[in-house]
Amino acid sequence: MKRKINLKNILLVFISLVVLNQTGYAQDEKEEPQQIVRLHYYNVNNNLQYLVLESLLKTGRKIEPVKKKAYRIYLDSVARSNFIAGVLTNEEGKVKAVIPPELKSIWDEKSEHTFIVTSEVAGEEETPTEFNIIKSKIAIDTSNVDGVRNVTATVMKQENNEWVPAGDVELKIGIRRMDNTILSAGEEPTYTTDSDGVATVEFNKINMPGDSHGNLIFTASVSDNDELGNLSVDKTLSWGVPLKDDNSTFGQRTLWSTRFKTPYWLLILAYSISIGVWSTLIYLVFQLVKIKRLSIQRPG
Amino acid sequence: MNTENLKISTVENLITTPPKSKAKSDEIIRDLLPQKFGRQGMIWVAVLTAICCVGAFAYYRQLKHGLVVTNMRDYVSWGIYISNFVFFVAISLVGSLITAIFRLSNVKWSTPLTRIAEIIAVSAIVFASLIIIVDMGRPERLLNLFLHGRIQSPILWDVIVIGTYFFISVLLLYFPLLPDFKILIRFKEKTGKKLNRLYRFQGSFWKGTKEQFKISDKSINILCITIIPVAFCIHTVTSWLFATTYRPGWDSTNFGAYFISGAFLVGAGGVVVAMYMFRRAYRLEKYITDMHFEKMGRMVVLLAFLYLYFNINEYLIPAFKMKKMEAHHLTELFAGEYAPLFWFTIFIGMILPVIILLFKKGRKPKPAFIAGVMVVVGAWFKRYLIVTPTLLNPLLPMQNVPENFKHYFPSWEEWAIAMGSLSGALLLITLFARIYPIIPIHETIEEQNKTDEKISLVE
Repeated sequence: MKRKINLKNILLVFISLVVLNQTGYAQDEKEEPQQIVRLHYYNVNNNLQYLVLESLLKTGRKIEPVKKKAYRIYLDSVARSNFIAGVLTNEEGKVKAVIPPELKSIWDEKSEHTFIVTSEVAGEEETPTEFNIIKSKIAIDTSNVDGVRNVTATVMKQENNEWVPAGDVELKIGIRRMDNTILSAGEEPTYTTDSDGVATVEFNKINMPGDSHGNLIFTASVSDNDELGNLSVDKTLSWGVPLKDDNSTFGQRTLWSTRFKTPYWLLILAYSISIGVWSTLIYLVFQLVKIKRLSIQRPG
Repeated sequence: MNTENLKISTVENLITTPPKSKAKSDEIIRDLLPQKFGRQGMIWVAVLTAICCVGAFAYYRQLKHGLVVTNMRDYVSWGIYISNFVFFVAISLVGSLITAIFRLSNVKWSTPLTRIAEIIAVSAIVFASLIIIVDMGRPERLLNLFLHGRIQSPILWDVIVIGTYFFISVLLLYFPLLPDFKILIRFKEKTGKKLNRLYRFQGSFWKGTKEQFKISDKSINILCITIIPVAFCIHTVTSWLFATTYRPGWDSTNFGAYFISGAFLVGAGGVVVAMYMFRRAYRLEKYITDMHFEKMGRMVVLLAFLYLYFNINEYLIPAFKMKKMEAHHLTELFAGEYAPLFWFTIFIGMILPVIILLFKKGRKPKPAFIAGVMVVVGAWFKRYLIVTPTLLNPLLPMQNVPENFKHYFPSWEEWAIAMGSLSGALLLITLFARIYPIIPIHETIEEQNKTDEKISLVE
C-alpha cells in the first residue's frame, strides 16, 4: 500500500513538472518577438575601423538570427552627409561595414560618437537604435631586461579632444594563434589597466614555436568594452623558437611517402593478400575451363 | 564425340527415374523458368528506365559543366554520391551472408534465397563502382588511379577489394547457374530462341556429369570460403576511408565492425524486400514460403540488435565525454540540423523493424516486407548521416568562406544521379530475373527429391 502511494506521489510530481514546464513554454510562445540590434565597433592597429552589426529576434527563451534584413548606419545624425553604409545581414544575422574615409572630418570633430542604426519594415521606418563610443587607441610595447621579458599594453581615450589614460579596462595580452584566438602571455586569461592606462605582463612562456624566423605575433585586445568597443594591436617579435621543417623521414619508406617509397611490410602484406586471393580466383577460372573440357571428352 | 552417351547424373536422372519425382520436377521447372514481364512488370521496367535516363542526363550535365553542378564545395567534398556508394557496398555484403555463410553452415532453407542474394550483391557492387566514377571530377583520369596509385592509400585498397569482390560474386552467381543452363536449354520453346542462344553461349558445355558436379561443388565451396574474408575486407576498407581520416564522427577504432554489422542488416532487409517482390510478381509462394520470412525476420532482428549495439558504442561514448571537437557534431546529430534524420534512421531503420519482427505476426510476408523497406530506407539515410555532417564540422573553424560552403543539400543533378543509380541496380536485378531463374531450379529439384526419399523411407 505504502509503495502504491509513493508511486502515485511520484507520478503526480512528474505530471506537475511536465505541466509546469509546458506552461512555461506556452508562455514563451505567447510573448511578443523582440528585435535586438547590436553594433560592435572595431579598431584594429589604430587605423582600420569597422563596425559589425548583429540582428537577432528573441522569442521567449529562443534567440534566432535575422537573415537578409537591410539596415542603414549613420554617424552622429541621420543625414545623408553622415551616412556610413547600407547593409544586409547574412545567414548568421551579421554584417560588416567599414567607416568610409569621407567621414574623417566628422570623426575628428568630437571625442565621442554615436552610431545610429535604422531599418525599414514594410515601408515603415523602425525606431533608430543608437550606440555610443569614445574614441580610443591601444599600443603594445615589449622589453627584455636581464632576460625578463615583459609585454606592456597602453590604452588611451579621448576626453575633450585630448588623449588621457583609460584605466580599469579589461584586456587580453598574449600571442595570436593561427585561428585568431589569443594565448595569454602570462598566467591570467585577462588583465586590467591601471590609472595610467597601462597593463604589463611578464612573458614566461619559453620555447614557443614561431615561424621560420621564430617570430611570434604579440597582441593586446580589448573586447566589447561598453565605452571603447573592440580595440586590438599587434606586434611581431622573434621571441619564439624558429620552426624547422622536419625532414627526418624524407626519402624514408613511410605511410605518407610517395608510392615509390612504400614500407616493405605494407608491400608484402598487400601483395601477399592480393596474390593469395587472385591465385584462388584464377584457379577457379581454370576449374571452369576444366568443366568445359570435360563436356567434350568421351566417357570412361 | 557422342555426348548422348555421357554419364548424366542430374536433372534428367531425377526427372526420368521415379515417375512421382518426374512430375514434381516438371512442376518445379514450370514454376521457376524465367517468365515474360506482365503489364505491371513492363510499367516497373519503364519507370526504372525513365529514372535512369534522367540520371544519365544529369550526369551528362555534370560531365559538361563539371562538379560545379553539384552542391559539393570545399568542405563537403563527399556528398550524396559517397553516401550512395557506402550504401551499395553495404547491401552487396548480403551475397556473402546468404550464400556463403548459410551454405557453409549447411543451412538448407536458404536455397531459394541464394540467387536473389547473389544478384543483389552483383548489381550493388556494379553500381558502387559506377558511383565512384561519377564522384570523380575527371573520370577520364580513372586509369591514373591504377598507374599512379599509392598502396598506402585506403582508396586504392578499396578499388582492389571492390574489383575482387565483384569477380568473386560473378563466379558465385555463375557456378550454381551451370546446372540450370542445361534445364533452360532443354526448355527452348518456353524460354524463346534469343534467350536460348544466350544460355547455349553461357552454359552449353554443362552436361551434368559426376566429374562436372564434383568440380563445380568444390569450386562453389572454395568461393564461399574466399568470399567471406573478402566481403569483410570490402566493408572494413570502406569504413577505413573514413576512420583513417582525423575527423569528428569518423575518428573511431570501432568503424570496421560498425560498418559490417550495418551492412549485414541492410543486406538482410534488402533480401526480405526482394523475396516479397519476387514472390508476388512470379507467384512463388510454394518456394518462398512463410517459413522463409519467419527465418529472415529473425535474422533481421538479430542483425538490427547488433547494429544498434554498435550505434550505441559509436554515439553514446563520445557523447558521454563530449570532447570539444566532437561536441558540435554530436549536438547537430542529436538536437540540431540533422536530428530529424538521425532519429528517423534510428527509429525507422532499426527500432521499429525490430518491434514489428519480434512478433510472430510481424514475421508474416507483408509486415516483414514493410520492416525490410524500413531497414533499407533507414540504411540509405544512415550512410548520408555518416558522410555529410562530419564534413561540415572540420577541426579548424570555417573562416572567410562563402555561406554556401557551410551547408550542404544535394543539387537536383546529384539527386537524379543517385536515384538513377538506385534505379539502375533495381533494373539490373529485374532484368536478371527475366533472363535467369531467380530460384535455383536444379538445387530445388534436388532438395525436393531428397525430401521425397526421406518420406518414402519413413513410409
